[in-house]
Amino acid sequence: MTETAVETTGPRDDDGPAPGAGRRSRRDLALLFMPGAVLVLLLLALSTRNPDLLSPDSLLAIADSAAPLMVLAIGVTVVILCGGIDLSIAALAALSSVLFALWIPLFGAAAAVPVIAVAALAGAVQGLVHVKAKVNSFIVTLGGLALWSGIALVISGARTVPVTDVDAIRWAFTTVAGLPSAVLIALGAVVVLGAVLRLTPAGRWVRAVGHAEQAARLAGIPVGAVKVAAFTTSGACAGLAGVLLVARTFSGAPSLGATLLLPAVAAVVVGGTAITGGFGGIGRTVIGALIVIVLRVGLSLIGVDAGFESIIYGVLIIGAVAVTIDRTKLDVLK
Amino acid sequence: MAGDTAPHAPTRTLEPAPLAGAPAPGAGGGNGDAPAATSGRARATRSADVVQTRASLIALAVLVVVFAAISPQFRTAGNLQQIIDAAAVLAVLATGITFVLMLGAIDLSLPGVIGACAMTVSLLVANSRNTQDLGLLGIALTILLGAAFGLLSGVLSTRLRIPTFMTTLGMSAIGLGIATILFAGVRPVVLDESLGAWASHRIAGFTVMSLIAVAAVALGWAIQRWTRIGRYAAAIGGAEDIVLLSGVPVARYKTLAFGVAGAFYGLGAVMLTARLGSGVVEAGAGTDFAAITAAVIGGTLLSGGRGGVLQSMIGVLALTVLANGLILTGVSPYVQQAVQGVIVVLAVAVATWPVRRRLGVVK
Repeated sequence: MTETAVETTGPRDDDGPAPGAGRRSRRDLALLFMPGAVLVLLLLALSTRNPDLLSPDSLLAIADSAAPLMVLAIGVTVVILCGGIDLSIAALAALSSVLFALWIPLFGAAAAVPVIAVAALAGAVQGLVHVKAKVNSFIVTLGGLALWSGIALVISGARTVPVTDVDAIRWAFTTVAGLPSAVLIALGAVVVLGAVLRLTPAGRWVRAVGHAEQAARLAGIPVGAVKVAAFTTSGACAGLAGVLLVARTFSGAPSLGATLLLPAVAAVVVGGTAITGGFGGIGRTVIGALIVIVLRVGLSLIGVDAGFESIIYGVLIIGAVAVTIDRTKLDVLK
Repeated sequence: MAGDTAPHAPTRTLEPAPLAGAPAPGAGGGNGDAPAATSGRARATRSADVVQTRASLIALAVLVVVFAAISPQFRTAGNLQQIIDAAAVLAVLATGITFVLMLGAIDLSLPGVIGACAMTVSLLVANSRNTQDLGLLGIALTILLGAAFGLLSGVLSTRLRIPTFMTTLGMSAIGLGIATILFAGVRPVVLDESLGAWASHRIAGFTVMSLIAVAAVALGWAIQRWTRIGRYAAAIGGAEDIVLLSGVPVARYKTLAFGVAGAFYGLGAVMLTARLGSGVVEAGAGTDFAAITAAVIGGTLLSGGRGGVLQSMIGVLALTVLANGLILTGVSPYVQQAVQGVIVVLAVAVATWPVRRRLGVVK
């Protein structure tokens, strides 16, 4: 397989150019087809256990429960493509859920707009600190994780905030033309983000920054602005995920998103996006999120102890990173 | 100093500066033991260390003075005792994580490792769930389990060549899963009296736990100062490529440093279990963040090579004083979490601000 063949035969055309030829093409090939194959195999294996799993209704139910995770994961994908990481997404989604629940009495259904704006602003602040003060992204967002969940605890009084005005969030849990609206919203976010990355220079800029930041800077790409935009996108997606979480549980809670960080990171890396940046894409994360959700559904179907779910996330993350990581970029491993 | 342990004689001839700087953290700001600091760069590194340690001490002093001025309760001897007792667990955890941070690596596995170790120890000593009664042996096995977790993190990071924040994030999930399985829906209450006494029995005014913590910190300091694990950890963090070129088995010593850190997390889990009185899956929630914050406030550079157990203790005291003072002045405990989040980013930013233009690519 030559480099060009890998590029042109790729099922996901939003992947970055496959760097290096020959030696690494097998890895690239595996990355192109593995996530999809794993998803299909998982579904088939589980359907032998329970044939109803492949019925349209249950597939839609799976997609519906995957919506918040998918939105969260595509946001952090952009940051990871840049070569950074955003550990604050789950905490930011929890804060957004609290804000949404608190603001519905004031703004009604439109409360989603300021919530997403605030979350995007939070992401932008993290991006600015990362770029301007040159602090590692995982430290900035680890600090963000503590800050946002602290704020969520304070403004909610560490309690669940119930939503009494159900009409204000009906748009996010109704069905449109037989499809759950949460799925449509998530797909909309995927399409918009995918289109921006594909049809504007943004996608190439993001990948270039992730691939070789110095080269990108010399080529005249506004590296700082691209990074801040990536963190802003990640924040906005976390805000939308928080809104979708409220629509699923009819309440906002500071603990709501806490368990979503690992599945979201797992979705990104299982999809095949390299944690070293530059390789991967939104489409991959969609498949990764579906794999994670199907795994979760499958485990409860088989009746496995909930503890194993967490262990599987851990193994998945380490295993997927080990496969997808681009070791040529790591001269000294920290 | 460096000559006593002698393992890196070849290293020093290759590149004296970063290694000569490395012994300084062990000195804890102490004066008069700098035979190695002969070159200009070495002296600069040393003085930067002293300045950093002084800055951390001043921050601690300012916190103490401010809270003492605001709150009459803060000024009591009883409160001093409480601060020491409250700092015990974090001191042990920060001692452990210092070894990882000195490498320039990071460890996010604490919640999982502590959760698994807390469940393990509560099921191995006399408890309400089973008939085990291993006592001290159970505690020792738990510390070994913690070390095993650390070694596994280290092996996975060095052999698979994965960034440590990803490996340890995965290890945290694995540990929490194991803890959940061990928990099995029924909380094991600790009935072992000697373990219970760790939190309740007092010697000379301090709980047994605090005294154990002091001993553990001293042990950690000794490991950092007098063993290859500690010396190489600082050297690897300072200039890994050079250490590797001089023939040090870097991967092995990185793994060992993670193992030492894991053993301290295991001990921390035992102390937390003694304090809580039962095995709790979420016993370690937030400890990764607190430990990293403490080490960073104490002057540990996250890029590695600088910092040490004693410096981290300044950070532990500062964080504990802050928490204690905020509670006494009536601030919500939830605000503390938010404040810690800001502090850690600020501390890292301040430490790297003067050299930020010289930093290359920051991921």
